[in-house]
Parts: sequence; C-alpha cells; structure tokens
Amino acid sequence: MRGRKVLQYVLLMAVAVVVLFPIYITVVNSLLSPDTIGHRPPVLFPTHPHFGTYSTAFHEGHLGTYLRNSFFMAAVITVGQVITSVFAGYAFAMLRFPFRRALFITFLSTLMIPFEATVITNRHTIVSLGWENRFPALIVPFLATGLGTFLLRQAFLGVPRDLHDAARMDGYGHWRFMARVAVPLARPTIAALAIFSFLGAWNQYLWPLLVTDTDRLRTVQVGLRQLEGTSIQQINVTFAGTVLAALPIFALLIIFQRQLVRGLTAGAVKG
Amino acid sequence: MRKWIVPALCAGLLAAACSGGSSSSHTTGGQGTAAPPTTKVAKGACPVGAVVASAQKPVQITMWHSMTQANLQTLTKLTDQFNSTHSDIHVNLVNQTSYEDTLTKYKAVLAGGQRPDVVQIQDVDQQLVIDSRSTLPAQDCITGEHVDTSDFVPKALSYYTVQGTLSSIPFALSNPVLYYNKAAFTKAGLDPNTPPATLDELRADAQKIVQTGAAKFGLALKDDPWHLEEWSAMAGSLYANNGNGRTARATAVEFGGPVGQQVYAWLAGMARDKLAESTPFTGFDNLLAIGNNVAAMTIDTSAALGTIFAVLATGQYKNVTLGVAPLPGPVAAGPTIPAGSSLFVVAQTSPARQEAAFTFAEWLSEPPQQAVWAAGTGYMPVRTSAVSLPALQQAWTARPELRVAYDQLTRGANTVAAQGPVIGDMEGVRTAAENAETTLFHGADPVSTLKQLVSSANSVISDYNSRVG
Repeated sequence: MRGRKVLQYVLLMAVAVVVLFPIYITVVNSLLSPDTIGHRPPVLFPTHPHFGTYSTAFHEGHLGTYLRNSFFMAAVITVGQVITSVFAGYAFAMLRFPFRRALFITFLSTLMIPFEATVITNRHTIVSLGWENRFPALIVPFLATGLGTFLLRQAFLGVPRDLHDAARMDGYGHWRFMARVAVPLARPTIAALAIFSFLGAWNQYLWPLLVTDTDRLRTVQVGLRQLEGTSIQQINVTFAGTVLAALPIFALLIIFQRQLVRGLTAGAVKG
Repeated sequence: MRKWIVPALCAGLLAAACSGGSSSSHTTGGQGTAAPPTTKVAKGACPVGAVVASAQKPVQITMWHSMTQANLQTLTKLTDQFNSTHSDIHVNLVNQTSYEDTLTKYKAVLAGGQRPDVVQIQDVDQQLVIDSRSTLPAQDCITGEHVDTSDFVPKALSYYTVQGTLSSIPFALSNPVLYYNKAAFTKAGLDPNTPPATLDELRADAQKIVQTGAAKFGLALKDDPWHLEEWSAMAGSLYANNGNGRTARATAVEFGGPVGQQVYAWLAGMARDKLAESTPFTGFDNLLAIGNNVAAMTIDTSAALGTIFAVLATGQYKNVTLGVAPLPGPVAAGPTIPAGSSLFVVAQTSPARQEAAFTFAEWLSEPPQQAVWAAGTGYMPVRTSAVSLPALQQAWTARPELRVAYDQLTRGANTVAAQGPVIGDMEGVRTAAENAETTLFHGADPVSTLKQLVSSANSVISDYNSRVG
C-alpha cells in the first residue's frame, strides 16, 4: 500500500516536471543575457540574472499599456458573460415558455461553430457599426456565450425543486429566488465560468489583431508578437514579456484554484 | 470568403474594361476639380492628377508595414521626410508587426472596413494579392505618370512582373547568403578568404571542419524551402511550369527534375554524414549555432546582417570572425532569385488616395531614399544608381559584407528561372517543401521524399487554382 503511494507520487512528480519545465525555462531565459540563451548545453540556472529585461519589456515594449488594455477587456467580458449567462441559464432552467427546447438547442449549436468561421462576418458587423479601433469592438461580441448559458442551466437544474416551492410559499418571485437562492447555490459554477471567460478573453489573438490598428488599443498577446518580431539581440526581453503576460493568469489560477476544481466537477454528478 | 469576392470581381472587370483607356485618364482626372472624386476616375486605371484635384488637402493615406527595430526607425524617418516635403499628402504608418499578420488582416479588410492605401507584402504572396483583385497594378501608374524604370535593378522589376504587368513597387530587397566563421575556417586549416562556391565545395569544407573538430557541424541548415527555389534558379531550372507562372498561371511544379534530385540527394547526404545540423525554419537557431561554435557556416537572408552586426558589436561572441559570401550553388555564381517585399497600391479607395499611395510608394523606391533605406536596414537598394550615392557608399565601405548580396543578385543573366516562381498558394507549397526537408533530416529517402513533395505541391496548386477559377 505504502509502496504504491510512493510510486504514485514519483509518477506525479515526473509529470509535474514535464509540465512545469517550459514555464521554468521561460523564466530562466528572461533573466539570461541573449548569448547565454543559445548555449549548449543550455543554462538551467541564471547565475547573473538581468532583471532589466522586465522593465525594458514593460516600458520600451509598451507591455504596460497592453496589459492594461487586456485587463480591462477581459474584466468587462467576464462580468458581461457571467451576467448574461446567469439570466439565460436561469430562464432555460426555471421558466416555462414556448420554443424553450428549440431555443436552447440553438444556443448550444453556437458551441459547434468555430470562431474562425464567423470572424469575417463579425468583423463586417463591427466595421458597419463604426467600432473599428474602439474598445466596444474588443468587448461587445463576447458579452454572451452559449457555453456559459449551458453551464449555468445545468447548475440551476441542480437546485432542488423543493427549495423553489418553499421560496414561493415565502412570497419570493423569480427575481428574488434567483438572486438569493439559485445564484448563491451555483457559485462554484459561476466562479469556473468567470475564470474560463477571463482566460479566453486574455488569450485572444486573431480578433484583437483584426479590429485594432493602434498601439493605444493593442492587447497583450498581439503586443507579445510584436516583441517577438524585434530581434535576436533582445531575445531575453521577449521571454520577459511572455512571463509578464502570463503572470495575471497564474495569479488567477492560484487564487481561484479551489473554485475551478469544484466548478469542473460540479455539473458532473447530479445530486 | 464569398463576401469579398463579389466586389473584388467587379473591380477586376472594371480594370479590364478600362485598361485600354489609361492614356485618356490623364485628361479625365484633371477635369474633375469640383465633381465628387469617386465617380470621375475609373477604378483600375491610374488616377493621374487626382491629388492636385482633391478638395481635401493634405490627402491622408495609411501604409501597413511589417518592419520592426532599425528597419522601422529608418522607415519612420523616410516617411517623416516625405510628409514634410509633400504638402499635398500625409502618410500614416501602421505597424502590423509581421508579414503573416499583415496579410491576414489585409484579407479581412477586403470584406469591409478601413483599407490601407499602401500595403507591404512579402515576395511569395504576390500572386495571392494579385488574385484578390483589390490592388491597382503599379504598371498602370508607371505608365500613367511616365515613370522611368530603367534605373531599377532589373531582377527587382522582373520578380514583381507577372504576365507583363508590374504588380507592385519593389521596396525591400534581400537574398540568401552564406554566413561563416572565419576563425573556425582557420582552425580547420581552410583559407578563410576562399569560402565555398559550389555545393560540392561546401560539403568538402564541412567535412574538414568536422574532422578537425573546429566545430561539431560544418553547416547549420534551416529546414528552408528556399534551398530548392534558389538552387533550381542557380542551375537554370524552372521551379514551376508556364515560365515559372509568369506567362500564364502555374499549374504544376517542375522542380522534380535532375536539379531537384541533386539538391535533395545533397541535403540528405549532409544530414546522413552528420555534416549539417538541421534547425527550425523560423527563429535564429542556425545563427546561434555559429555563435556557440556548434557549426561553422549557415545560410540565411542578407537582411539579417544588420542584426548580426548589432549582436557582434555587443562583444558577446568573441570567438566569431564574421565572413559573408555569395550563396554556394549546384554551379558556382549562378543567378539567384530576389527576395523581400514590395508595396502594393490598394484600389477601390478614392482616386486621390490611390494616386497619393502610388506617389509615396514610388518615392520610397527612388535612389536617394533607397540609399538611406539600404544603409539603415541591410536590405539591398532596388535602384542601381543608389549604389553610388554617399549614404550607401559610406555604409558599404564601412561594412563590405553588405555588398555581397547586391553583387550576387546583379551578376549573371536575368533568366526566367532566376526570376523565381509566382504561385498563388506559394505559402502552401513552401510548407510542403519545409516539411519535406524536415523528414530528409530525419533520414528519409531523398528520391521518394522529392516525389511526394512534387505531388503534394501539385495538389496545393490545383486546389488553389480551382478556387480562383
């Protein structure tokens, strides 16, 4: 029994090393001088770290601006997706109305269409609204999501019917029941959705590239590409930029790890 | 896709209908002082006089480019100079960071939105942009504005000429060259001043370098589709049919012949005998290999020179004494295909913007600007007289290595083979070639690999051609 546990941990650690190594080497490379990065065998520990790469990436690479833009965009998208998903999910779970099933399937079908297939049409819409090079272009198309609606519908279906009846007896309408009972019960799902939304928005590349032209509005992933396009003598700055772009995501994962795991399993077993 | 094909087709039809009347457009454009400019000058023909006739001045135009670092600084400097000397026109530069992103975005705006007026397009995407029918052929305005092209580097002009029409203005010109470490050559007992000129010599030198232990590998080689393209050209062999796609649309590749077989056998031999190390197509692992003494030679674009000098100037690689030599080939000193990028003038904007765009693109290609551009970036000038201007003379005297690519490109005859292929989905063909080279370096048989490459390249081509119609 004990031996098996040891084996399990050794195996897990081996996998952890494989997973973490690219992240580790990115951090190391961001602290090396450009010529040591290409060394063979590779340098695995920075004995003379250069921390200046971070300020170069932040200031000269404009990552400061890009991070701010990405953060604003991702935050608004997250809040928007949570709100719309809660409303839509609640309606599909709790309300009876005509064509409910058909509508729900329509919502679901949006999950099957890859974003790339609609990108030209979406861009056309944004342009005809005159939103090119403005924040709404980055945000508005992502304020509602089929996935979020689906997740929250499942979560709300898990709310016991008895609770609903009891609340009705106490004079709660749908609004109050949703706000005071259903949403608090669905919190793990909402947290998971929020993190997924934030991650998705943060990592966007193609869309921000297509609807913005100016440095003022550029997001961090597009900015990173620009940093990468610079040159060999500053390859360490590219690594520093990558670390900077990943930091908010790391922070988010560490803070919300529990909700994330709980949220992933929340809909799995009905009970 | 379908959305932008319709307007694009219309423009194409108009262009065909109006191309005969390009001489009369001179008067048409001049008269339209008060009339709305969009209807007066036919789309597709050069709107001569439209800037002067424009009610709004300066005419605001946008250029999409993909330049970074020193290249961006030089381009910005030139653009500022243009703006201050041309009161009628104001150019705004927009950096789209890379050729790939610029092209992606350009394709997206064809569906609607703010189009650029000038767009910098990578050499191999020429046919694709022509097929989008969204640009004004540079030829129209070269003819309409009576621009003398005799001073252009002939190969720069011929590369961007498809079916007799100049598609765009050549702008940034580069060529593959051989980079080598003279110190490693000396250590291997080779003369550092006689670099290899043929593939056989390259192999012999690599052997000596490996045997003497001057470096682990003789050559660091990218999995680069360039090898097949350039070496076919140097041996005088066509890459694609229909005159490399220049007399009519290419329908099949032709590199499966003796030259291609020789190139693939050579590559496979270098890999098998551990004389060459394979490095990824993107990135600069091959250059780092020289810096770290893993290899003594590599093949890369001459446009990397500026960066290489900057890196060497930091004193990080004291073991390297840089040598730059013409690209070795199946035959010595064969003619090479130009590479780089050109400037397309975007159609379907107002005539004034189109003329302003052409004016700016043409101005950038003039000798004084090309001298500054070449000196500041490491690209070659697209004009022959730029070479004798002080700005470039000084740069080339200080760094004779910068001349190598220019001398290589301008030597020898301008054969159809050396003009290089134009293929609609050249990116697709290149990806196939890149993958083929990667498998070669993993020990695949060169004969069957080349055969497979020919058939996959042909299906990429026929697939594209059937879509374009």
